[in-house]
Amino acid sequence: MIDTIRSEWIKLRTVRMNLILFILAVAFPVIVSVLVAALADVTDLKASDIAGLVTGSSVVTALLLGVVGAVSISAEFAHGTIRPTFAATPKRGRVLIAKAVVIAVFAAVAEALVVLFCFAVSSAIAKSRGVPVSLSGDHEARAALIGIVVFAVIVSLLGFGLGMVIRNTPAAVAILILWPLVVENIIFAILSAAGVDNPQKFLPYISGFGLGNPNAATSDSLGRVAGGLYFAAVTAVVALAGAVVTARRDA
Amino acid sequence: MITVSDLSKRFGRTTAVDHLSFEVRPGTVTGFLGPNGSGKSTTMRCMLGLDRPDTGGASFDGRAYRQLSSPLHEVGALLDAGYVHPGRSGRNHLRWLAASNGLPKARVDEVLDLVGLRSVGGRRVKTYSLGMRQRLGLAGVLLGDPHTVVLDEPANGLDPEGIRWIRDVLVHLASQGRTVLVSSHLLSEMAQMVNDLVVIGQGRLIEQCSVPEFVERHADRWVRVKSPGVAALVGAATGQGAQASMIDATTAELRGITTVEVGELAARSGIVLHELSPQTGSLEDAFLQATATAQEFAAQPVVAS
Repeated sequence: MIDTIRSEWIKLRTVRMNLILFILAVAFPVIVSVLVAALADVTDLKASDIAGLVTGSSVVTALLLGVVGAVSISAEFAHGTIRPTFAATPKRGRVLIAKAVVIAVFAAVAEALVVLFCFAVSSAIAKSRGVPVSLSGDHEARAALIGIVVFAVIVSLLGFGLGMVIRNTPAAVAILILWPLVVENIIFAILSAAGVDNPQKFLPYISGFGLGNPNAATSDSLGRVAGGLYFAAVTAVVALAGAVVTARRDA
Repeated sequence: MITVSDLSKRFGRTTAVDHLSFEVRPGTVTGFLGPNGSGKSTTMRCMLGLDRPDTGGASFDGRAYRQLSSPLHEVGALLDAGYVHPGRSGRNHLRWLAASNGLPKARVDEVLDLVGLRSVGGRRVKTYSLGMRQRLGLAGVLLGDPHTVVLDEPANGLDPEGIRWIRDVLVHLASQGRTVLVSSHLLSEMAQMVNDLVVIGQGRLIEQCSVPEFVERHADRWVRVKSPGVAALVGAATGQGAQASMIDATTAELRGITTVEVGELAARSGIVLHELSPQTGSLEDAFLQATATAQEFAAQPVVAS
């Protein structure tokens, strides 16, 4: 198993595309957090505001890590490398678990670094502008910062699952990105028009966003833990379906 | 030793491989021959556990491929040199392969040396020529120093020098006692390296035998005779049941008769012979003859008018 994980880690870090995605994933929230912390009106800034800024902008990081997850398997189908992979490790379940482990750990570390760095930089900027912020005592802000890391891990595995089910890079990436941005918003509008109360409760991705929302407890969503579990459950279903299909089909 | 027994594989309504059985011995290069679309690649994918056969299966020294815990140490396979990520360097491609079976990083540079790619190992595969990709594929095969080697059309797209190189490598591997199975749709490409043949057509076994046996059974044979009195000689030969065709005024080709018989006929009739020689069709002709009825997409012969 360790050998398979090492092999998959080498694969992940030896493709330039992943490096570019990683740089984009890090650069975007850092730039946004710095700009907002430097330019925003700071008369009444709390830790949860900074946390919301950091988690909000690093949702983009999570989506890009989801793209890394999707491409890690769809590119294997596109280039045919899935065949030498399964020939070298005939136990397909072992390969898929190793991939999931590598992707999840990579996503967790990348997202955690981004969140820590962004929070440190933006609170330092806020402090230099005379508004010291502190996480101590702000349970919700801390939970949101941890929650967005969990969110990134789930999105990366969702991408992996979609890549296994769809096997096609553009299609898997499009669904991964358009699902939260377009599909769930359309469903939300339809449900609202139909008179459903708090329709976001039915939408897995939007519920998952609650993980990184410092105000999750007070909004109309499922809340941080329930929303995260719902999103994780949907991801698990997609990933399991993908794993079964990949293990059974001809490679 | 590779044993394929009763292997069948269908894709929808098409039967790609049809109850195929054959054996591949160690210590020699075995050619796996068939026209395009005859099921060679499907057979190899089934052997390696990549496609699930509908019936039967394959074993390597008695064990199914999927039961091998570190397959690269036992079976080195190259299905398609194109199965590489174009954005990854050749060395990194071999590194993930090596890592998956617990092989040390140093082994990667060893096999890069073996196939002559050491200096370009750091370049991305998209910059490689087809010949370099084949060499990289062969490096992957050699990584685990396997005692069984399975290659699908390794000479495809190679220049004559590359084909010769592959041939030398495979003959060398076989001479060390390894089992080598190599597929091709061109017999001429393999004639100089293989000892044994497994010939298939439309997914079925046509023949498993040695190269000389194959020629013996399928090649066209005739006698070429040149004589100023060829007409009389042809008359005598056809009288004994031979078929004759005239090449020019003094030369004929006779089928259904041996050189000995023709020589004796000539002596008896007092006919002067200028040439009397046995003729054999090429291996390529023998192969085409054997698989003629099993061509999936048979082309009409081009007839000169």
